[in-house]
Amino acid sequence: MPQVRIIAKNFMDMVAALPAMKLDKLYENAFICEAILRSLPPLAKKYVLQMLCIEVPVTAKSMEEWVLPDGVSKHRVAIDRLIQLRIFTETVDRKRETTYTLNPIFQTNLKKLLLYGVVLPREPMPSNVTVRLPSSEDLEAFALGQWECFLLQLINSSQIERPSNISSSMMKIFQRGLLSQRDKEAPRLTESGFQFLLMDTNAQLWYIIREYISNSEERGVDSADLISFLLELSFHVTGEAYNINTLTEVQKNTIKDLADLGLVKLQQGRKDSWFIPTRLATNLSVSLTDSSSRKQGFVVVETNFRLYAYSTSKLHCEILRLFSRVEYQLPNLIVGAITKESLYSAFENGITADQIISFLQQNAHPRVAERVPSVPENVTDQIRLWETDLNRVEMTPAYHYDGFPSRDLFEGASDFARGYNALLWEDPEDSKKMSLVVKAENHVHMREYLSRQRQ
Amino acid sequence: MASAPSKLYADDVSLLMVLLDTNPFFWSSSSLPFSVFLSHVLTFLNSILLLNQLNQVVVIATGYNSCSYIYDSSTSTNQGSDNGRMPARCVNLLQKLEEFVIEDEQLIKEGLREGIASSLLSGSLSMALCYIQRVFRSGPLHPQPRILCLQGSSDGPEQYVAIMNAIFSAQRSVVPIDSCYMGSSNSAFLQQASYITGGVYLKPQQPNGLFQYLSTVFATDLHSRAFLQLPKSLGVDFRASCFCHKKTIDMGYICSVCLSIFCKHHKKCSTCGSVFGQAQSDVNSTSNKKRKTPET
Repeated sequence: MPQVRIIAKNFMDMVAALPAMKLDKLYENAFICEAILRSLPPLAKKYVLQMLCIEVPVTAKSMEEWVLPDGVSKHRVAIDRLIQLRIFTETVDRKRETTYTLNPIFQTNLKKLLLYGVVLPREPMPSNVTVRLPSSEDLEAFALGQWECFLLQLINSSQIERPSNISSSMMKIFQRGLLSQRDKEAPRLTESGFQFLLMDTNAQLWYIIREYISNSEERGVDSADLISFLLELSFHVTGEAYNINTLTEVQKNTIKDLADLGLVKLQQGRKDSWFIPTRLATNLSVSLTDSSSRKQGFVVVETNFRLYAYSTSKLHCEILRLFSRVEYQLPNLIVGAITKESLYSAFENGITADQIISFLQQNAHPRVAERVPSVPENVTDQIRLWETDLNRVEMTPAYHYDGFPSRDLFEGASDFARGYNALLWEDPEDSKKMSLVVKAENHVHMREYLSRQRQ
Repeated sequence: MASAPSKLYADDVSLLMVLLDTNPFFWSSSSLPFSVFLSHVLTFLNSILLLNQLNQVVVIATGYNSCSYIYDSSTSTNQGSDNGRMPARCVNLLQKLEEFVIEDEQLIKEGLREGIASSLLSGSLSMALCYIQRVFRSGPLHPQPRILCLQGSSDGPEQYVAIMNAIFSAQRSVVPIDSCYMGSSNSAFLQQASYITGGVYLKPQQPNGLFQYLSTVFATDLHSRAFLQLPKSLGVDFRASCFCHKKTIDMGYICSVCLSIFCKHHKKCSTCGSVFGQAQSDVNSTSNKKRKTPET
């Protein structure tokens, strides 16, 4: 699977990779404890919960006793994750017995959460100050619009109506890895760039946020602070207004960037200004295992390879253009066809058939989404067939040797190459020409062997 | 916290229906005070909601004479009247619980039943199942439901038929019934309920550490249960109650048409109306004693 996907899926890996001191500092914030708890695998969550009131170390053996034979690997994954995130500390005592203890800061914070319930990070502003708050539909539309605008800018589309305020240097950072630019040529999307576009919004968001965080040190912002602020933000209530003066200076700067991404909406009142978190922000802490938040689909694929996309979005059009021939565009409808040529250009760009099919399935129009399969079978089969067509030839870098002085040397060399399992082709026995083809990686060995033989 | 943004279906998203026994006759004689019990349960509910933002908890109070929904995490918001230390979630729940207990008490005064002071478990089980059915029908994406009975009072044999019906419908819709029994002796009804539906039956040895039992055993989501060894009950009391006098019996008469159970011989089945032949009882032919055939 694509690299981007793996990176974007494991935001918590990034948290786990933080130095121990920073990680311990993060756990001082109860919201982070909560967000991290929620991101854990189900079994790990359960272990944390059952250890919550136990102050003494628990032996690994007593925990393993609960595990069924089928669950051993899941158990291992859960424990490893907990140790990685420093939620569990593993100690081996003199009797070589492994015991686990829960991180004390994490433990106290979670206990507080359980006893006193979840407290909001900050109080929303009273409604008499904040007149004309956007309705939830407006807010949703704002967030999606902002995000789409950002994505269009990211892929350097010519169709941007209004550029967002994200500085070009910041944009460059985001584009790193997604676009490649050769001298004087227009930048082109790279393989991972295409894959990025086909991911769902949440995964895309994580990718961008990840880049944003990993770049924070260069801007003089502590990455741990940034992570804690972002996670805290996700615990605010969607659509409520929060006073911007409750933020620190660094957070104020951050929130401006976030507004450009559509995570929050900024509003200016007579005296105060406030920010309103959108759904994009509150979904940040949704554990990534279930990040596929369902959106209304828009694509209908017919058995004759025609594609109808009920969308007004320019971004959708751009995405469809990646692998289909867009024929015409009506105000709310994009009509295209999946052709062999359009797919070949997609494959050349590094998009796989499975990605295209899963994109079509995930975005299936509600009318066809109920059907099984939502994309006609003949279409999916054909897409896969066309892809395998391209894979009929396998390339292996190799060296060609000929002009052997004697038959013996030639046969010796071919046996030698066979010994490395590197012989790709040799002249048939009866042929006069003595030549053989050997994998490039074994060229050094071949050369040594031949020079030894010559002496 | 706001309710689930959109319906998702992940591995461990669960809908937990908690049936809370509020029977005053039991709690007045229990070694564990109701207030302590309640604080354990509230913490447990908090922890379930903490584990996943899409988890949902519904609490149904099982009283002596009635039962009622007292808390639903999907409808109640966590904001609002935040007086002092108590979080709004608990305040709402406790308020509703108090109202319920008062109402239930008034019903007791109207008609005190004779015999064992059991709670209306059949009623609350049916309510839980109705709620789950509604969730099932709300769309293809829904949390995985399970029922947790926190029961203290002893079984009411007169509810046998209703409870068995509820158990079988839970079994049909693959909803496990977990039971945590706080009373002194084991509850045959709950043992059977958990056994039939594949849930866990547990009688805490140390009621003071109830939270630990709840968080270790009953907080396990259905996804994780495939990998863990949860406590199993040693034996299940499979005895049935007869339909005529609602007594728990070891041996009895069964209608071969509708399988109704009677403690003594009847001329006619009270459930389906089949007419039985003459029982050759108390005389010599013992082989026919238990096999009753209706008159052909």
